[in-house]
Amino acid sequence: MSALRKGPSLSLKTREAVTGWLFVSPILTGFLIFFIGPLIAVFYYSTTEWNLLSQQSRFVGMANYVDALSRNETFWDVLINSLVFAAGLVPLNMALALGLALALSKSRPGAVFFRTVFFAPVITSAVAWAIIWTFLLQHESGAVNQGLSLFGIDGPNWLHEPDWAMVSVIVTRVLKTVGLNMILYIAALQSIPRDYAEAARLEGASGWEIFRRVTWPLLAPTTLVIMVITVVGSLKVFDHIYLMTGGGPQNGTMVLAFYIYEQGFKFFNTGYAAALAVVLFGLILMLTIAQMVLKASRK
Amino acid sequence: MSDLLIKRLIYSAATMAALGFGANSVSAEELRFTVWTGSEAHLKMLGEIADSFTATHPDVTVRYDTIPFGDYVQKITLQMAGGNPPDLGWLLENSAPAFVDAGALADVSETLKSTNGYDYGDFSQSAMGLWETDGAIYGIPFSTSPFLVYFNKSLYESAGLETPDARVKDGTWTWEQLKSDAKALRDASSGVWGFETVDGQGYGSRVWHTLVPIIRAYGGAAWDGDTCKLDSPETVKAVQLFHDMVYADGSTVPPGEQGDFFSGKAALTVTQISRVSKLSDATFDWGIAPLPAGTAGSGATVGQAAVVAFAEGKHKELAAEFLAHMTSKENVAKMAAFFPPARKSVLEADRFLTSNAAVTPEKMAFVAQGIKNGSVLPSHKRFPQIEAAARSNFDALWSKNADIAAIMKKLCGSIQPLL
Repeated sequence: MSALRKGPSLSLKTREAVTGWLFVSPILTGFLIFFIGPLIAVFYYSTTEWNLLSQQSRFVGMANYVDALSRNETFWDVLINSLVFAAGLVPLNMALALGLALALSKSRPGAVFFRTVFFAPVITSAVAWAIIWTFLLQHESGAVNQGLSLFGIDGPNWLHEPDWAMVSVIVTRVLKTVGLNMILYIAALQSIPRDYAEAARLEGASGWEIFRRVTWPLLAPTTLVIMVITVVGSLKVFDHIYLMTGGGPQNGTMVLAFYIYEQGFKFFNTGYAAALAVVLFGLILMLTIAQMVLKASRK
Repeated sequence: MSDLLIKRLIYSAATMAALGFGANSVSAEELRFTVWTGSEAHLKMLGEIADSFTATHPDVTVRYDTIPFGDYVQKITLQMAGGNPPDLGWLLENSAPAFVDAGALADVSETLKSTNGYDYGDFSQSAMGLWETDGAIYGIPFSTSPFLVYFNKSLYESAGLETPDARVKDGTWTWEQLKSDAKALRDASSGVWGFETVDGQGYGSRVWHTLVPIIRAYGGAAWDGDTCKLDSPETVKAVQLFHDMVYADGSTVPPGEQGDFFSGKAALTVTQISRVSKLSDATFDWGIAPLPAGTAGSGATVGQAAVVAFAEGKHKELAAEFLAHMTSKENVAKMAAFFPPARKSVLEADRFLTSNAAVTPEKMAFVAQGIKNGSVLPSHKRFPQIEAAARSNFDALWSKNADIAAIMKKLCGSIQPLL
C-alpha cells in the first residue's frame, strides 16, 4: 500500500476527468456506433451510385445532389410538400396544445379525464390511428362525411382529392400528436408561480393582458422546445403518410421522408436516397438553429 | 508442469478434437426459404415438401420465413444488402426482370438438367419467359394464376339476370355486359356495389391488375418492346370503359370507398383462385367465370410467382437441389391444390380439376383455360421506376371529369424514357 502511495499520482483534476469519461463511455460508445457511424456512412453513400439490389456502387461525387437539386422536378415538389406539411401542422398543433393546456391545467371538474382523452392518441399505435382515420374519411360511407351530410354538406373524398389529402393528413396528425405538447404546456403553466398573475390582477390587468404580458413570456422556453420538436417531427413524418395516402394522390402528400424510403428501398436508388437524407438532415439542422438564434436574439 | 495439468490439457485437446470431428461428420445445414404466405394450410404443405427433402438429405433442414406481402421485396433486398440473404424464396413476375438484371438470382439450369426425372420441357415456354435467359434458368414458376371473375350468384338470381358462367356458354360474356350487370346490381340502399376491383386495392399499387385485363381485351397493351402503348386508342377506350363504370354508372367501388365481395358487399370482382378460401363462410351462392371479352377477344391475364435461389445465398448448391425438388412433378401436383401449376402434365391431368375441394371441376376448367390463353402481367427490369413514374398519372384518372386520352398520353410521356 505504501508503495502505491509513493508512486506518481494523478492530479485531482485528471482523476475527475478520467472518472467522468469512464461514466459517460457507455453512452458515448453507443452514440459513436449508432449515431455518428451511420451519419458518416450516409454522407459517404450519398456520393455513390449504389443499387441496393445489385450491390454495385461507384463513386459519383456530388452527382446525386446535382440530380436532386437541379434535374429532378419531383424533388422540389416533395420538398414543398414537406414544408407545407410542417407549416400547416406546427401552428395548428401548438395553438391547439396551448388552448387545451390553458383549459385543462387548473383543477377543474373533468380536467383529468379530458387530459387523458387528448393524451390517449399519443400512446395509441400510429398504424391503428392511421387506419381508423382512413375508414372515418371514406367518401360516402365514412363517419366524417355522414356527419357532415346531417348538415346538408356534401363532404369531399378527403384522402383521394389532391386539394384535401394534405389537409386531412395534417389534421389527423395534429390530433395524434397534440396531447404531448398539451402535457408539456400544462407542466410549464403549473410551474409559473400564481403570485405573478395575482399581482397583475391586483394592478387591474384583464385575463388577456395577464396571458400576454405574464404567462406567454414565461412559457417562452417551453414554446421553443415544443416548436423545435414539432418542426423536426413534422419534417420526419413517414408512417402517417405511408399508411393513409402512400404519398398520393398525384404525389400531393409525398413528403421527403417517404420519398427517401421509396427511392432507397422500393426503387433501389440507395445512393440517391442517401443524398436526399443528407438534404433532410441539413434542412432540419438549419431550421433548428434558426429557431434557436431567433429566440436568443429576442432575449 | 504437474501431471494433473498435463492430463487436463490432453483431455481438453481430445475433447475439442472429438467435437470438431463430430461437427464435421454431422455438418447439419439449414436452408432459409422466404415466403409471403402466412396461411397454415400453405405452410403445412410446404413443411411436407421440406420433410420429403430431408428424407433424402438427412443433414439438411428447411426453414420457411414468412414476410408480409407488402414488405416482401424490400425485406429480402435489405437482407441481401446486409450480407444475410435467404437461400431460396418466392418472387413475383413484376420483380423478376429487375432481380435477373441485377444478378441477384442463381442460375439453377445445371442442377435441373442433372436431376433425374425432372423433365424441364414439361414447363410451357410462355410460363418460363420471364425466368429463362440465354439458357440460364433463374426460377421456376410454382403459381401461374389467371385472373377470374367471381360473382355473387344469389344477387344475380334475385335480379333475374343471366349469370356470367351461363353467358360464357352462349358467348355473350363481355366487358360491356359486365358493366351493364354491375350497374343493374348496384344497390346503394343496402350498401351493395356492382363491381369491386382486385381485392379492393385496384387504384394504388395494383392499378395494373385492374386495367391490364380490360386493356388487353380491347387490343391495347401497356408497352410493346420499348414503345409505350398506354396512349393507343384501344387502351384509351378500355380505360374509359372502366372510368365510366366508376363515375358515370357509379356501380364500381371508387377510390376512398370500401366494398367487399367476400362479405356480400359487391356483386362482382376480379381476383385469383387462391381467394376461394375467403368464401368458406360465405352466406351467399357464388360462381366463377373467365375474364370477359372485349372487341379484341379475351384479355386473359395471369399473375405469376416463382421459386428462386439467391445468387449470394450461403448454400447455393443445396438451394438449387431443393428448388428442383420443390418443382418436381410430384410436388407441383401437391402445390396445385393452392397454386395453379405451370407444368403442362399437371395442368392437363384430370386430377388438377378436382384438386381444390371448394371449386367444382367445371370452375377449375376456367383456371386451366385462363393459364393456357393468358399472358403474364407486364414486367420490365425497370418496373419499380416505371411504377413510380406512372403512379401520379394513374392517380389523375380518378376524378369524374378526367380527360382519359390526355392523361394516358402524359402517362406514356413519363414512362417512355424508362422502357
